[in-house]
Amino acid sequence: MSMFGRNPSAPAGGVNPERMEMAIQETCHAKCISTRYAEGDLNKGESVCIDRCVAKFFEANKKVGERLQSVGGANASGATGAFGL
Amino acid sequence: MPLPLVAPVFPAGKEPLPPGMTEEDRANILQAKKYQDYMTMGMESCLAKTAIAGIGGFAIGGFFSMMSSSFAYEDPLLRQNLNTTQKTMEIFKDMGRGMWRSGKGFGKVGALFAGIECVIESYRARNDMVNPVAAGFVAGGILARNSGPTGALGGGLAFAAFSAAIDLFLRREPAEYVHMPPVIECY
Repeated sequence: MSMFGRNPSAPAGGVNPERMEMAIQETCHAKCISTRYAEGDLNKGESVCIDRCVAKFFEANKKVGERLQSVGGANASGATGAFGL
Repeated sequence: MPLPLVAPVFPAGKEPLPPGMTEEDRANILQAKKYQDYMTMGMESCLAKTAIAGIGGFAIGGFFSMMSSSFAYEDPLLRQNLNTTQKTMEIFKDMGRGMWRSGKGFGKVGALFAGIECVIESYRARNDMVNPVAAGFVAGGILARNSGPTGALGGGLAFAAFSAAIDLFLRREPAEYVHMPPVIECY
């Protein structure tokens, strides 16, 4: 379930892209896709929701990253692992 | 090579090619896929949905009007000074005018409802029963705008109820499958 290949890459700058992608999929799927459906295609509402969810996730991630960097440089790489989910 | 029991997601640029294609075709395939994705996106856009609903409504309105023109009664004294051919042409022209008028009406209703529902759904980013009911209310209100405020309210409520009924039917639970035992033939 990874778009970055089968081997987990070493965390670059404290962000693990595999786990981030996993987090995006879990949160946006839970929020946007209803449990009652009759077809495999995405509705208009669902596709709009997923677009917004991913964009918001990246925004939030960026802001959190900036805050952490400003708080403490060296400690950030240790703490970001927890926030990168 | 896709692994079994795992979602087929690959690193960008390393997706497996369709059978019979080589690496040089990858750029062409990607470009064709890009245009196909644009096509799909266009088809699912609100404008396209409005247009399709409008054209479909027009067709249905014209068809119903054509069917109902066979019940129209004619006054024989109305066109008595024309010969048979002219009378026939006149009757067909009346039918055409009726089809056009009725088609326009149904087309307006369909386009209005579909467009408003698509906009509401895009705004709310959710797909549930609220969208068709609200769209029906607004569309009914707009269609009945010349009947004063109570008329518009009543028209909106009526269309909302009608649209709710239709969508409840469209979203009903699909029937359970009856599982038949597999047929085993022994000789």
